[in-house]
Amino acid sequence: MIDVEKKLHRLNDRLAYIKDIFAGKQNEAVRMLQVRLDDFQARVAEMSAQERLSAISAMEELFTFMEQKLDEQLSPMDKVRIVRHPQRICLRDILENVYDNYTEIGGQDDKSIDPSMLIARAYITRRRGKALHNQPVMVIGQETGHGDEFRNGGSVKPWGNAKALQYMKVAEIENIPVHTFVFTPGSYPIEDYPGAAQQIARNLYEMAGLKVPIVAVFSEGGSGGAEAIGLADRRLMLSHGYYSVISPEGAAAIEGRLRDGTRAAPELIERCALQLKMTAQDNLRHGLIDQVVEEPPLGAKPYHYEFFQSLRNELMRATDEVVLTTRSFALLRGAISQPHRPKSLENYNAENFVTRWSLSTKARDRLVVLRQKKFRNLSNGRWIDPRTSFDLMLTKIQATSTDLLNLFRHDLWGRRKKQLGYAVEEMDAGARMLLHRIFNPFFSFTRELFGTKPRAKIAEELTTLSSWEEDGSKNGTWSYISSKAKEDRAVTCPNAAKYGCLDLWAPDLFGEFAGVCTHCGYHFPMGYKWFMYNVFDPGSIREFNQEIEATNPLNWDGFDAKLEQAKQKTGLKSGCITFEASINNTRMCVALLAASFRGGSVGVAEGEKFLSAIERAQRKRLPVLAYVHGTAGIRIQEGTNGVIQMPRCTIGVRRYIDAGGLYLVVYDTNSYAGPVASFLGCSPYQFAIRSTNLGFAGRGVIKETTGLDIPPDYHDAEKALSRGHIQGIWDRRDIRANLQQALVTMGGRNLYYK
Amino acid sequence: MEKHKVLIANRGEIAMRITRACQKLGLDFVCVYTAEDSHSRHVHLARELGGGLYRVSSYHDANELMAVADASFATAVHPGYGFFAEDFRFARRVTQRERGLIFIGPSWRVIRELGDKINTKRLARSLGVPTVPGSDKPIYDEMEAEHVAQSLYDFQLSSGISQPTIMVKASAGGGGMGIEEVQDIGMFRSVYRRIRNYALRNFKDEGVLIEQRIRDFNHLEVQIVSDRSGKNPVHFGTRNCSIQSTGHQKRVEVAPGFAPAEINYSFDAAGVLAEITEHSLALARKVRYDNVGTWEWIVTRDGRPFLMEVNTRIQVENGVSGIIAGIREQEGVDIIAEQIRVGLGEPLGYTQADVSLSGVGIEYRIIAEDPAAGFAPWVGRIEKFAWKQESWLEMYTQVPVNEPYDIPTEFDPNLALGIVWGKDMEEAKMRGVAFLDSLVLEGADSSGNPLKSNISFLRAKTADILKF
Repeated sequence: MIDVEKKLHRLNDRLAYIKDIFAGKQNEAVRMLQVRLDDFQARVAEMSAQERLSAISAMEELFTFMEQKLDEQLSPMDKVRIVRHPQRICLRDILENVYDNYTEIGGQDDKSIDPSMLIARAYITRRRGKALHNQPVMVIGQETGHGDEFRNGGSVKPWGNAKALQYMKVAEIENIPVHTFVFTPGSYPIEDYPGAAQQIARNLYEMAGLKVPIVAVFSEGGSGGAEAIGLADRRLMLSHGYYSVISPEGAAAIEGRLRDGTRAAPELIERCALQLKMTAQDNLRHGLIDQVVEEPPLGAKPYHYEFFQSLRNELMRATDEVVLTTRSFALLRGAISQPHRPKSLENYNAENFVTRWSLSTKARDRLVVLRQKKFRNLSNGRWIDPRTSFDLMLTKIQATSTDLLNLFRHDLWGRRKKQLGYAVEEMDAGARMLLHRIFNPFFSFTRELFGTKPRAKIAEELTTLSSWEEDGSKNGTWSYISSKAKEDRAVTCPNAAKYGCLDLWAPDLFGEFAGVCTHCGYHFPMGYKWFMYNVFDPGSIREFNQEIEATNPLNWDGFDAKLEQAKQKTGLKSGCITFEASINNTRMCVALLAASFRGGSVGVAEGEKFLSAIERAQRKRLPVLAYVHGTAGIRIQEGTNGVIQMPRCTIGVRRYIDAGGLYLVVYDTNSYAGPVASFLGCSPYQFAIRSTNLGFAGRGVIKETTGLDIPPDYHDAEKALSRGHIQGIWDRRDIRANLQQALVTMGGRNLYYK
Repeated sequence: MEKHKVLIANRGEIAMRITRACQKLGLDFVCVYTAEDSHSRHVHLARELGGGLYRVSSYHDANELMAVADASFATAVHPGYGFFAEDFRFARRVTQRERGLIFIGPSWRVIRELGDKINTKRLARSLGVPTVPGSDKPIYDEMEAEHVAQSLYDFQLSSGISQPTIMVKASAGGGGMGIEEVQDIGMFRSVYRRIRNYALRNFKDEGVLIEQRIRDFNHLEVQIVSDRSGKNPVHFGTRNCSIQSTGHQKRVEVAPGFAPAEINYSFDAAGVLAEITEHSLALARKVRYDNVGTWEWIVTRDGRPFLMEVNTRIQVENGVSGIIAGIREQEGVDIIAEQIRVGLGEPLGYTQADVSLSGVGIEYRIIAEDPAAGFAPWVGRIEKFAWKQESWLEMYTQVPVNEPYDIPTEFDPNLALGIVWGKDMEEAKMRGVAFLDSLVLEGADSSGNPLKSNISFLRAKTADILKF
């Protein structure tokens, strides 16, 4: 009897869970289950023991059958409800059931520095015959618990991500693989010391070059929070998880243009969830993850032990694969890392084969190269490039010949020349010293005799006109004047009440003053063209890749029209303009994110243009400037294709910096979210024009997700400076001079002019 | 002349003089005043003469002035001196706005060109006009800076200066910021670096000017007038403004600049006057100067003149040049009326040959201040203000004579300008003293202390005028 009661209780639980997942949607199957269960419960007291047992197992079978059936009907939003359900497996369940032993690092429940980020040193023990092989792993992941309040739903604060980064580096030193588990709806979007964006960017930058295998498992992968630990060599995804640029609710709020505090209609959220293409199957189809780990119907729960077994197997297999691909010689086991592995290895059980997970020095380097290559190829082709294959081939030939030329010019000839130069310098200095010691007495004598100039000559020097080449920008003459400077009107400075600034005449303000209030220094926003045509040497701008066009890879409803509208309005084909230009005859490669093109949001086309610019600069030994006229974040309508630009471009930056370049970032207006939390925020040299607002999420999102009311200056440049996100605040009128200064004083060994 | 309406964008005695000049030329005018100035006589005068009168919150607010201009249908703006007089952006805005106005002053390009001291110096040098020895461009290079400093030092030694002094100043600075003197050449490098770093921090430009520091000089000015063609400037003689307060504010101005007939100078004074007027006219022609302006010079004790700067506006002391000048038969010139006339586009109508200069003029600036206490300004209420009218005396003041007047503290401290004329220096001095003796200026501050003025200082200094 007790046994039947227990089982009945479990069945009721299962039904409640099903109801939660389908969230009040009218479903025939659910109703049927309810009726049958009620009926059973009504009759159970009258049944004999034997009847009870057979009836309850019939009920269980029915449930299992129906669950399988319902599983096929799951909509993306249902899956979101699955991963957010308190009964969903959490990282601790995985640690208990997948790994053989583990020690949690820094975890005393809510006493940890950030309980939503869990770190553990774990063991996987493989058995071959009687021999035991303990393989240590660093496990890092967001912990939601089963609805634990203090876990914050897996929303990690910046210092939680910092903790994750710290232990990734520990793993690097210990030469053990990292397993990351992504269970987060998104990062906790606060700006602290450090800010959310700042820390995620650091994580991405470090992971881009981390010299140990990383395997990531995605259950709930929301935007930046997921990327903070998601840049991995193998990315597995649980079949009922989601991995997306933004939560469906967030997407709906943007789509519906909702103000703070109002909630989107459930239908709209449902539609957005569908359009975001965020399920495991969608992501696998788009090539953004490597493999799906099948879960039991309606999602894995802590008592699904077979699931943990298969997850363990997949994790070991994935780690083995990563390790084996880095080996120059892997013998027969190499076959398991082939993309089309032989049939005989389909059911390969990783338990029985031992692969050492520690890597040799060479293998570690190869690992990083492979990882970088892998991400470079993600989301390939999801932009429009009208150039014919012949054109592209020409470009490729051109690139290769530049490579060859530069190899000769910089690596072969340039290095020899430098060495020769040093040698000559040394000899010259020695010779001078010798001459000085021999002739010094005579020199001082001759100086006294002939050293002074005649008086008339001095007088002439001091009183007649000297030659002088004046730089025009000093006295407020700009080569490009904003069209705002043509209106005859007075503009009120927003600080007028505070500092008593007088109204400024628009032609003065937007012309000579470059949009800066002369009294208080307030910076009015200016168009990106002002920057383009006033900062660089006139006529030095050579745009490239302008053919690459933003598109709608997920066929998002109505987005084609919006894109077309943006293209019409701005005359641009994407939000990123890439060009080569020079400042005082020093060439540089510039990637500009224009706020006027859909808020400067970054999609695949923008990411691709940015990456090509970085790669071009690396080839030609040019410094790189990323000028962020403004960016609203990742373009949500491109879904995970968009969010993948974060690790993808960061890897490009990492490669460029490692090769010895100079990567400068200058922010101009509002710069938020994904790009700032990755390829922009990872630069060691970031500067902001005074008009900048810099951060991870805007006011509305912070209020929505954390309930905090932020002060008005929360995101301004000074705050960003005090957080250490940026390294300086510039006046718009000084951009050119400051860049010039930066080119002289900063940069690595591999710049053509150094 | 076309019918114009002039917005007088200034206050006090200059507003009154411009008002009178407009009346004389038969032009409509409109005046502005602020709350503090509501008892100023320029407001009374505007009411008396029936011009428009608008209250503004500040004389510094260009938007408000433009609004007044539009509301009153003004066609021209006279900036007076101070405020917007030398602001080329204001001049540019006035002329380039949708409802364009005439700016009574030089065109904005000229104001900009001559408003930049480095540019003025280079223009002067390009014409061979003498300027202060030293650099004429910002120096960015330490080696070059040291070279210039050393040359300046040697140059001063060889010209017989026992204590050579070098001035180092931030080229982008102004108003006395970022200036230091070097007397010991060994200290130059540290001073140079200090100024350079100061300039870099404060002005974002590390350019530095290095010049000879000239001591012991007289301050002379040349009054120039030219019409809009910019081709035929004439001068109305020179002025000597060397009697100043300890803060280097002018207190007595004398025209002409020197009196070679009556005083013995150690140099050829008549020659120097001729030289500086010629040079000033040459520069005016070069930049096509097209209104009233003043060329400021310093003349050293050994009679060497150096051009300092050009003031592209009417000056306080224009009357003292006007009183000694004449055009053809007419005696005395109203320079403000001339400025308005040529400003509105009329040709000058006479040449240098038609201009005659006769006698000596002295202008006293009567100010409530205490010369014994470092010319500290005195603030309070004027109870009694009177003087004896004379045919040889012109008196310009915004202080009402028939009612008490609280001295406003917001503006410059001039209470009145008294200009006397004499056929020679002796007569002018005599009349000057007579004028100062007849002057009654009494009042008390809030705690009952009697008014302090510089009248006795002016009287004492009268004896020394034009002496080097």
